[in-house]
Amino acid sequence: MFESLQHLMTGFGIATTIHNLLYCLTGAIVGTLIGVLPGIGPIAGIALLIPATFGLNPTSAIIMLAGIYYGAMYGGSTTSILLNVPGETASVITCIDGYQMAQKGRAGPALATCAIGSFIAGTIGIFGLVFIAPPLAEAALAFGPPEYFSLMVFGFIVLSNVTGISLIKSLMMAVVGLIIGTIGLDPVTGDARFTFGSIYLLGGIEFVAVAIGLFGIGEVLINVEKPADLLEQRVLIPRLRELYPTLRDLKRSIGPILRGAGIGFGVGLVPGPAPVIATYSSYMIERKISKNPEEFGKGAIEGVAGPESANNSACQSAFIPLFVLGIPFAPPTAILLGALLIHGVSPGPLMISQHPELFWGVIASMYIGNFILLILNLPFVPLFANILRTPKKILLPLIILFCITGMFTVNNSVFDIWMMLLFGGVGFLMRKWAYEGAPLLLALVLGPKLEVAFRQSLMISHGDFGVFVNRPISMAFLLATAIFLIFPAIRLMFKKSKKGGI
Amino acid sequence: MNREEAIGGIVIFLFGVVTTFFSLKMPLGTFRMAGTGLFPLCLGVLLIVLSSLFLIKLYLQKKEGKHVITVQLPSSIKQLMLFLGAMLLATLFFNRLGYPLVAFLLMVSLLKILGMKRWRTVLPLSFITAIVCYFLFVQWLKIPLPRGWIGL
Repeated sequence: MFESLQHLMTGFGIATTIHNLLYCLTGAIVGTLIGVLPGIGPIAGIALLIPATFGLNPTSAIIMLAGIYYGAMYGGSTTSILLNVPGETASVITCIDGYQMAQKGRAGPALATCAIGSFIAGTIGIFGLVFIAPPLAEAALAFGPPEYFSLMVFGFIVLSNVTGISLIKSLMMAVVGLIIGTIGLDPVTGDARFTFGSIYLLGGIEFVAVAIGLFGIGEVLINVEKPADLLEQRVLIPRLRELYPTLRDLKRSIGPILRGAGIGFGVGLVPGPAPVIATYSSYMIERKISKNPEEFGKGAIEGVAGPESANNSACQSAFIPLFVLGIPFAPPTAILLGALLIHGVSPGPLMISQHPELFWGVIASMYIGNFILLILNLPFVPLFANILRTPKKILLPLIILFCITGMFTVNNSVFDIWMMLLFGGVGFLMRKWAYEGAPLLLALVLGPKLEVAFRQSLMISHGDFGVFVNRPISMAFLLATAIFLIFPAIRLMFKKSKKGGI
Repeated sequence: MNREEAIGGIVIFLFGVVTTFFSLKMPLGTFRMAGTGLFPLCLGVLLIVLSSLFLIKLYLQKKEGKHVITVQLPSSIKQLMLFLGAMLLATLFFNRLGYPLVAFLLMVSLLKILGMKRWRTVLPLSFITAIVCYFLFVQWLKIPLPRGWIGL
């Protein structure tokens, strides 16, 4: 523990250089803007900004990109409270009581509670990361290819189970992502697959093109076909002196904030869209244990403090599987994995010892970033709220222009723009037909790793599939996977038997 | 059966069939020493199985008279098509016209498609956006974006 604190101090030394502070500030501001603006979420936002980090060292690059991720969580609450429009999916729950508070003239305390809660929860999340990551990394050294394979399968199944409305649809998307991930050179033999003679496809499908296409262009296209009056609503802008919560508000919020931080931290460690699940779980728990559950939905401050704290804490703990196992469990961290790989850093159990400056620097920067966001979010709320007045008919063309520019800069290739537009069309259809993009993206990023782990496992075992169940850790993951697969079927059977009156 | 949902399921089924077909043309090897095509073949077969299950489920839901999802048709197909067309044209002429000009023309067309009527707003807004993007990406970030025939 003492060693971890020492490393953290070194991390603060790295994160507080002028350069890194500037990148942290940039990430936090851009992230807040992305969170504030409906139509572009943290996934597309991080993907768009990756090209801008090419000239930076890996530590500064990840400091900035991580800032976008947790900055978006702060920003997302602003639109939820002031407009009843969530800036990103993790802020959907905040709309329920946040907007009701705004309607009662209490937008200021709601926003301030979000910022304070997010800061406290973020801090708890970071300290959890500091103390849990190093021992977990040591334990992960025992993982071989079969364990990694089973863990990734577990990740896909859990993610598919918790995203979207249909498990089978999410699983189909994960398999489609894995197939797209096989395009290019075979990672073991080096032979070309599904390239159809194109030299552009030899390197595989650029994951940034898929991410911006599915989550950026797809979202814009959905907006283009809808009536353009969503952003032209009346925006309630609180004045600075109205921002501060009363002592009673703080007293009522502290419990939900601490509980939200705990829930968020736990949820962030398991596969799935952690911030979304964390906010939902926190809201449900707060309502259940509240002495006045009837206030929920009518402007209860607990309904804002808990979920907003949970989503920030989940954001921080989501970095643990990414940094320690090299396996992202959520789409934004999958994008960050891509960014790490672009910068020549392969996360995994050895990352802490091989790249200590990056690991501890990024963790320390998160704490600084949370502090910056606390300072930014209170006095600049009126400014961010004014940004919401940008008409959609101006915002959407700007997003498209940034998407095209950002996509070209990844490889200086127009082919990538075509790919992005293709996946934009796919993303549009997926939204229309209610398919989730998250399993596809995660599978695309993890696909090559999964294939290598699968083939290496079978090589080790001379073709015996028993290797996946004979090793205890691997078997534990596969058992957990089976439970997650069977659980929805059992739940359905119970529902049917209840309807039948048994 | 919901028509749009069924189309989605069939498209994914066909994707699985195509993947399986092309995987079979690659060396498969053995499980001990897997060839290039083995992993995609497994995935293709898995996708066929999953999409078949999905289509069967849709068929059974239709028989029971259930409708799980209501899919709305686009409210403005024309606007969507024009928007897509503008993006495709911008990509097509990206290298030939150069970044600043494409940025300007793309902004003009997208703003007009989305219903911004006044030229005196559209033109300055597009011009300023193109100039800002040019200075931000080309001059400041030094990104080698296409110069095109205007040479900027």
